[in-house]
Amino acid sequence: MEFLNPAGLFALSLLPILFIPYLIRRRPRRIVFSSLLLLREFPSGPSRRLWGRLRIPLLFFLQLLFLLLLVLALGEPVYTIRPPQNLAVVLDNSASMQALEGPESRFDIAKKETRELIRNLPNEARVNLFIAVPKPERIGGPLITPQEALALIDTVSPYDLGDSYGDYGELLSQMTRDSSYDRVYFLTDHPVQGQGERISVISVGQPQENLAITSFHLTRASFGSSRLRARIEVTNFSSKRQRVRVTLKGGGRTLSRQTQTVSPGKILEVYFEGFPFHPYYETELEPNDALPLDNRRFAVPPESRGLSILGISPQPRALGSLRSIPGLTLKVISPDEYEKITGGQHALEIFHFSTPSVLPQSHALFILPPKENPLVSLERPVSRPVISSWRDPHPLTRYVNFALFRPPYARPLRPRSLSDDIIQIPEGALAVALERGGFRYLVLGFDPFPYLGRRNLPVSIFTLNLLGWFREESTGISTTTGNPLQFSGRRKTMMLLAPNGDEIPIKGGSSIFSRTFFQGIYQLKGDGKKELKAVNFLNNKESDLANPSPVNLERAARSVGDRSITFSLWPSLLLFSLFLLFLEWLCNSSATRHGYPTDSRGLQIKS
Amino acid sequence: MLPAPFTADFLNRLECLRLRTRREVLGSRPGSYSSPRRGTSLEFADYRKYAPGDDIRYLDWGMLARSDRLYVRLFREEVDLFVYIFIDGSGSMVFPSIQEKFSPACHVALALAYVVLANQDHVKLLLLQEASPPVANPFFRGRHRIMDCADILSSCTPRGSVSLAPALGEHLKRIRRPGKAIILSDFLMPSSSYQRGLNLLRSFNLDISVIQVLSRQELDPSFPNENLAVGEHESDEEVRLQWNAEIRREYQRRLEHHNRQLRSFCHQEGIHSSLYVTDQGVSDFVLQTLPSIGLFK
Repeated sequence: MEFLNPAGLFALSLLPILFIPYLIRRRPRRIVFSSLLLLREFPSGPSRRLWGRLRIPLLFFLQLLFLLLLVLALGEPVYTIRPPQNLAVVLDNSASMQALEGPESRFDIAKKETRELIRNLPNEARVNLFIAVPKPERIGGPLITPQEALALIDTVSPYDLGDSYGDYGELLSQMTRDSSYDRVYFLTDHPVQGQGERISVISVGQPQENLAITSFHLTRASFGSSRLRARIEVTNFSSKRQRVRVTLKGGGRTLSRQTQTVSPGKILEVYFEGFPFHPYYETELEPNDALPLDNRRFAVPPESRGLSILGISPQPRALGSLRSIPGLTLKVISPDEYEKITGGQHALEIFHFSTPSVLPQSHALFILPPKENPLVSLERPVSRPVISSWRDPHPLTRYVNFALFRPPYARPLRPRSLSDDIIQIPEGALAVALERGGFRYLVLGFDPFPYLGRRNLPVSIFTLNLLGWFREESTGISTTTGNPLQFSGRRKTMMLLAPNGDEIPIKGGSSIFSRTFFQGIYQLKGDGKKELKAVNFLNNKESDLANPSPVNLERAARSVGDRSITFSLWPSLLLFSLFLLFLEWLCNSSATRHGYPTDSRGLQIKS
Repeated sequence: MLPAPFTADFLNRLECLRLRTRREVLGSRPGSYSSPRRGTSLEFADYRKYAPGDDIRYLDWGMLARSDRLYVRLFREEVDLFVYIFIDGSGSMVFPSIQEKFSPACHVALALAYVVLANQDHVKLLLLQEASPPVANPFFRGRHRIMDCADILSSCTPRGSVSLAPALGEHLKRIRRPGKAIILSDFLMPSSSYQRGLNLLRSFNLDISVIQVLSRQELDPSFPNENLAVGEHESDEEVRLQWNAEIRREYQRRLEHHNRQLRSFCHQEGIHSSLYVTDQGVSDFVLQTLPSIGLFK
């Protein structure tokens, strides 16, 4: 026999409350009689003592039995008719399962529970073992023996990923409905709501208070500056104020440290400036809590060199004005020369009155492209257009008053595919942004060049904005675990060194690596060059160990069919307890008839 | 408006009754009760030597013929009766409720008053209560005054504690004519207390009748079998006891002994006494129980 709702059994602790009315009844009942003449000198009751002499009538045991049965019914006991033959075991291997419960992690406890579960299965039983993240998938062969499953469990480890499935209850009910499992077990650190006869959720771990670094950014103090600035966000998921120490490390050494206090449920921002350059940086949070994973973050600084730009223009002089901006290197070529260049060497390519035959594999800016370009179609030219709207807030439009923005010549753009209109005039868009394959593209329907600096402030600020927008994507931002890494350039042979030490060859010159399951620095080596990518676990929901979202089995229980291998005992218990309630009422009313006072019978209770 | 028990049939049957007195009474008007004085009734009382001026219609002619002596026959005077009905107005009369104890007692008093009024006698209703001075009600005569009696009784509210002898004493200060006194009370008081009170009445040459009024709950208390703190209406005193069947039996034994003492005292002193348990109907009690103890002729 097992209980589908074991939490209901906690109500057993309330049973001693039943004694209270009996203890209260020990206090003398106050009654008014006509005369005390004949009642004096009788032996008085034992109520001088604190509790009196507790006389428990038979009615008490009837009531106790009634409550006991009611609590047992609340626990929803089921009797297993036959042992399960086919079962599925789903192991939650999300990041929160790395949280420590004493000396062991939650995942270790879950594995221990799983082993115990499988050991108790009969030899003829068959098991399917699943992991929950990055997506629910089976590991090992289908319907393996318990011995094979035990061996397979040792190979499973948790990932630095958040839960992939919003509602595990739905997943479990779908597994039970679609497959022929007698029982589905889910081992997780989430609490469970409701119960299912064929779904059993084994919850490991308790809610814990946690601190986490929820953001780590490295930026340059200004465009072209060599000074770096670190911004770290610390979120307090606990219910009390915490004094935290944030350490910034680079090259394996501690660079700086700050100690501050963060209020419960609040975010603390910590800034570091003026630290030396290193290939990558690491920040650590103290004190250590149950989940060490989110107390560390990594970041790669923006490229130390300036923004490398390749200009393709039939008018090299106009683009050449960009050289007056510090922190960028510019090479201008004619459109004919561009087709001869192979390999992406530059962070940004600017196509001035020109377009490539195919979209470049790098960030690109298109200025008044010819009509055969792959991104937009062009409308009729407009002179001195009035800007009707612009995206705000947006990195491209900040600090610019577009009411003063009156280019002498413009051609409205009509995007050929889904894109983001940044600046609009009544006739169409003047600036269109889109992202494809991890690269940013911006098309302008006007010519912002030559760069005139203070002499044309709105256009100059807009130019700096767009250069910053392109550079922001290319450097300084870390990737979240589970999101693919984009590699710049085309290399024939590449080797990726993962944070856990695995060397993963990337064949065929692929520019995307998607199995970023672990937090840390990924190193891409190839063609004698090394590229660092920071991957961080960033999932506030997963980091919040105090309020885990429950697995809802109420809907799951309803949707599962009736192939039950259990027999519910609670209806019988409920019926029997109702019968006892009726019996107790009978006894009670009988006692009232034979001696308990009521006003209509003349006994008055003093207030 | 008379209370519910006073139906037309009940009133008709009450009119057939007449109070019995064990003593001769001194009335003010001709009535139907013997007086120690000589009068003009048909009941022979004595002979007296003839004196000049006597009405010769009362000469005993037979004795004159036999003994040649002149004697006149004397007859008893028959006068009306003055009845005093005392009703216990103490707090104990509200247990278990006014409707279950005090009102039945009032109904009995009202029935007795109606019997008196129907015989053209005088009745006065007196409430035994802690009032100083006590309320002075007038004598009523004639059956039409029954409504006044009902009004008086309906305006009474039992409260406080009453000591029988002092309360009676206050009323006796205003009583000028001897007659019949009827006391309705639960007599749940020490025997010395009610004995003093009844002796006081006797000293005023009153013919006394006692009706003890008790409720069924007083005869057989139905307390729960547990630890009780019992108080009373007449004082703040409280008695703690562990109620059970044994205590209940002991209480009933004590009550029986108490009632027997009361009956014994009344018997010795020539007082009519009767116990009225309020769950009995008023008409049954008045028409059957009271005649059986000789309260009515």
